[in-house]
Amino acid sequence: MEFLSGRMQRRLRGAPFYLVLTLATVITLVPIIWVFASALKSNKEIRENALALPGEWRFQNYVDAWFGASFDQYFFNSIFITVTSVAIVLFLSSLAAYAFAKMRFRGNQMIFFIFLIGMAFPLSAKLGPLLSLMYELKLANSRIGLILVYVAGSLPFAILMLRAFFQGFPQELEDSAALDGCSRFQFYLRILLPLSKPSLMALGIFVFMGTWNEFFQALLLINEDSKRTLPLGLTAFQDEYFTDFALSFAGINITAVPVIIVYIMFQRNLIEGITVGSLK
Amino acid sequence: MAHALSGPRKRSSGPRSKLDLMPYLFILPAVVIYVVFNLGPVLASFFLSFFRWDLLAPTTEFIGFKHYDFILNDDKFWNALSHNFIFLLLAVIIPVSMGLFLAVFIYEIRRGRVFFRAALFLPAIFSGVVIAYVWKWIYHPFAGVLNPTLELIGLGAFTQSWLGNPKIALYSTFIAYTWASFGYSMVIFLAGLQDISTDIFDAARVDGANFWQKLFWITIPCLYDVFTFVITLRIFTAMGVFGVIYILTGGGPFYSSDVIDIYVFRMIGNFEMGWATAAATVNTIVVVCISTGFIKWREWRSWSS
Repeated sequence: MEFLSGRMQRRLRGAPFYLVLTLATVITLVPIIWVFASALKSNKEIRENALALPGEWRFQNYVDAWFGASFDQYFFNSIFITVTSVAIVLFLSSLAAYAFAKMRFRGNQMIFFIFLIGMAFPLSAKLGPLLSLMYELKLANSRIGLILVYVAGSLPFAILMLRAFFQGFPQELEDSAALDGCSRFQFYLRILLPLSKPSLMALGIFVFMGTWNEFFQALLLINEDSKRTLPLGLTAFQDEYFTDFALSFAGINITAVPVIIVYIMFQRNLIEGITVGSLK
Repeated sequence: MAHALSGPRKRSSGPRSKLDLMPYLFILPAVVIYVVFNLGPVLASFFLSFFRWDLLAPTTEFIGFKHYDFILNDDKFWNALSHNFIFLLLAVIIPVSMGLFLAVFIYEIRRGRVFFRAALFLPAIFSGVVIAYVWKWIYHPFAGVLNPTLELIGLGAFTQSWLGNPKIALYSTFIAYTWASFGYSMVIFLAGLQDISTDIFDAARVDGANFWQKLFWITIPCLYDVFTFVITLRIFTAMGVFGVIYILTGGGPFYSSDVIDIYVFRMIGNFEMGWATAAATVNTIVVVCISTGFIKWREWRSWSS
């Protein structure tokens, strides 16, 4: 290898890594590409050769899926529930995290610990009484009810993450703001939140994904078609159109595409939201 | 608000000052929602597992461990829990090691890091519902892609009903789970790798360490805490797997891929709230024991070595 230039050597050294990574990427992406391709085929084409590419691109499948089922309604429900949940989680968790990180009060440690406990329980630990409670409060089968459940589920992680972030803020900042006659709520609103934009962004995208994708609790609490979110609507749609292959594939894609778009736009924020927990 | 405006100064005015209510106002909304819609139902689930109750007629009568007596003698409960354990064992081995190797490979290359990370993480962004339907179609007996591909590459003998065969249905669902979860481990490992000082790797290269030596003597020991976090995450997702299995097999055929969350969900659906809460409580104890036991063991090991 002596006769090769240093640059060539480095390239050759990296070759096996590229080979494995490329292979892994192909295997990972093929199912997604295949589902997208199949959504453009006719049922006859799918039955005759599941592996072939579409002969002509039938975008009609998407139109049929969108109008044949209530995907517009599911889509609206998902947007409404997810955006509202994320906004409430960001507001409430930043308020609480500020208190936990920067204020002295009796029970600070204790109450924070009670929030942390919430992350240790499996989801099934609360389902029976939750369903009962939601019926009692007339919040079953309601978008508002689902939002409250999602917010309650996201708060522990959100408070843990923001508390750690706020603890890094220098005390002098708050002291000088107080000297200028700035109340703690004003400090929170005018100084703390604007300075925390990157963290709030990462947390927001992370909560957005989790809420948009949630299925178990939605399945338990919602059984009216007009209140269904996209994942829930997709299951109803698949049950109905199970023999209509092309339409089923189109339905999967309609559910997947919004997440892919958000992922492409906010990839960095999302991965930051995931990894920040690991570095704690 | 007058109190709020003088808040920061009041705080330092000694122990005799009035109780500062401001912090409690800051945490109050979060506490209320969290207690009512999350922690409260968890505690209620625990207490109600000792009572006879159902959703429609709220008569409660203390019956002690009767529900537990039923659950712990129900073969289907142990069947479901054992499948969670199989899932757990596989989940801490396969997606975690895939994630580690892919993270190390991405770390080793120069160009295309962002692309490979983004592409390999892609399946992890989907809802369990989307993941399940993608794989339901892959496994589909004749419209699917797996059986025709196996025939195409001369492995026609392996074609079969991936979700209909009780011997392999659970493992078929595990493959779908793996497809969507190795990327999660990968990005966390990658973030951990980027935190390790490059000096260590440079020194190892100067000393002539090869890939495997670097992996076992530097990378893995340096990622000790990251491993703990990644595996803890797998414990929670494997013990709480629901959507993927619910859609792919519904726990079948013949309960061969049943897991605890589907078992509990089925109980709730049958209005057997007592059994559902008892099963959920046993499961919670198991999950908390495994996860805290694992974390304590890791802390003890890093402290004692």
